[in-house]
Amino acid sequence: MAVISVKDLCRVYKLGKVDVHALNGVTLEITEGEFVGIMGPSGSGKSTLLYQMSLLDRPTSGSVLIQGRDVGGLTDHQRTRFRLNHCGYVFQDYALVPELTTEENVFLLPMAQGKPDTESIEQSREILGKVGLSNRLSHLPRELSGGEQQRVAIARAMVNKPDIIFADEPCANLDSVNSKRILELFKELNEENGQTIVMISHEDEDIEYFDRVIRIFDGKNREG
Amino acid sequence: MLTDIKIAYFLAIRMLRRSSKTGTILTIFIISMVFTNMIFLSSVIGGSIELMNEQTVDYYISNIIIKPKEDIRYIDNSSSLVSKVTRIPGVAHASPRFELGASLNHKSNEIALPVIAFYPDDEKLVTKIHETMKEGHFLTREDRGQIIIGNYIAGNVDESKDFFESLGGVKTGDSITVSFVNGVTRDYRIKGIFQTKSYQTDYKAFISWNEMENVLGYPLDQSNEILVKTKTGTTEKEVKKTMLSYGIQEEVKTWKEQAGGLFDESIESFQIINDITLIVSLIIAIVVLFIIIMIKTLHNKREIGVLKAIGIDEDIIIQSYVIQTLIIGILGITIGFCIIQTLIAYFLAYPIVFPDGNVSLYVETGIMIESAILLLIASIIAGYLPASRIAKEEILTAMRG
Repeated sequence: MAVISVKDLCRVYKLGKVDVHALNGVTLEITEGEFVGIMGPSGSGKSTLLYQMSLLDRPTSGSVLIQGRDVGGLTDHQRTRFRLNHCGYVFQDYALVPELTTEENVFLLPMAQGKPDTESIEQSREILGKVGLSNRLSHLPRELSGGEQQRVAIARAMVNKPDIIFADEPCANLDSVNSKRILELFKELNEENGQTIVMISHEDEDIEYFDRVIRIFDGKNREG
Repeated sequence: MLTDIKIAYFLAIRMLRRSSKTGTILTIFIISMVFTNMIFLSSVIGGSIELMNEQTVDYYISNIIIKPKEDIRYIDNSSSLVSKVTRIPGVAHASPRFELGASLNHKSNEIALPVIAFYPDDEKLVTKIHETMKEGHFLTREDRGQIIIGNYIAGNVDESKDFFESLGGVKTGDSITVSFVNGVTRDYRIKGIFQTKSYQTDYKAFISWNEMENVLGYPLDQSNEILVKTKTGTTEKEVKKTMLSYGIQEEVKTWKEQAGGLFDESIESFQIINDITLIVSLIIAIVVLFIIIMIKTLHNKREIGVLKAIGIDEDIIIQSYVIQTLIIGILGITIGFCIIQTLIAYFLAYPIVFPDGNVSLYVETGIMIESAILLLIASIIAGYLPASRIAKEEILTAMRG
């Protein structure tokens, strides 16, 4: 069953007086439980595609259906709720809240869902244990290494057990050892929980972790 | 809704605790100074008004004044009215006064004003002029050929230092000539000079009732006014009401009614200055907080984008900044309150010296609460505007910083 369905997706940015066509009629489907890699050269439109699918941006034309629901018509407030309840995000530069500790960064999401504190804490600690950060709960992001920060970001993305996790080049700032560890963690979580993962990557060696690769060139997709 | 506030509070507390402490402390300090500024001037004005009120009661009118009915010059059978008034519940003492127009001369200096006669012992029970003798002594019942005068009448040898026309720096023991409007002229020895610092009182001259009878040449049972001191624990309004119910036919006024017109313009002017200061202080508070929160939100723009991206509603983010400014506002106001209390204690010990008297700070609780609420509203506005501006930006724009 298609968890994400994208049809004729176009995204045009205004750059002064010039129109930049970042996406040019992308159509694709991603099925439930898939670990999909989006690959392509710089400027090809990978990130733009991920932002449209993950409700972080609105397309110029075309449609995005998540679990059969057209998300194009959702209000900003509804999109925020949708992201909170159905999506998890991992960004290239970790994007943790610098004033929150490891535990608080993760705890924030179940708390925002209105879960009781005890349940939120329990959930956060459990997922942080899974990513191997049980001994770093009270550390602030600046006190953690890049690999550790990315694992916090993954824990934050996973804590609400979202249907889809979107990862935008999560290993770009990590060394090869940490990159491998993160990819293995994603694969493990994907197999264990059956969550759909959509990840952008530059590295060909990452392909072995993906169930499928979608290649983007000049704003258009090509399965590969 | 409750969850939203809980998350906003959660974020606000952590942002305050873990962001730049110097910035937060400086902001709290600025708010405390703004609050102090808002209260300080109004308390000086309040102190001045309080001083005017005290001077009016202590030196000028006492608590209640009885005057002849309109178009009648004197209260006749004054002594029996005084006896009647002193028996009225709530009245502690009453003292009649009689004025006679005169000109006072000393060497080449001459001033025209009414000379007032009173019973010195009774006067001591209704006013506190006797406590303000700058030199010499207060009058006694038996005093004849003696006069006490206010500081402004005595004046200075150097006339440029005088506010009003004076006798050119006369001293206790000097002799002055008083020519009354009934044609009688007498030389008086200055028995004392009083200085109440109330210009209405310090431009008065008093002689004893006996002396006035001597000037008039007949026993005096008339008065221009009767000053009434009320008992502690009563209000002037209540006592006035009782006096009227006892059939007092003359015009009865509380000191507030009598002095109202006298100070209305001053109070109104003070109020305008106070309002302008208050508005300026509030604008300063809003601008300062706005700039600080604007810098903070611009600095945290990426973080705001991230929070929105992971599913935190923009209203929660805005609320978290508003809560931060509210906490800063409350802490600033609390410190400002402590500063004000310290200033009150200081100026109570060392009052501000004005020509009209020594002014201590007088703070009304209502003004303090009103200023605190206004400052908190200013904090909310200053926190809301920049935070909402940044929080409403597109997620990707915000995340790019």
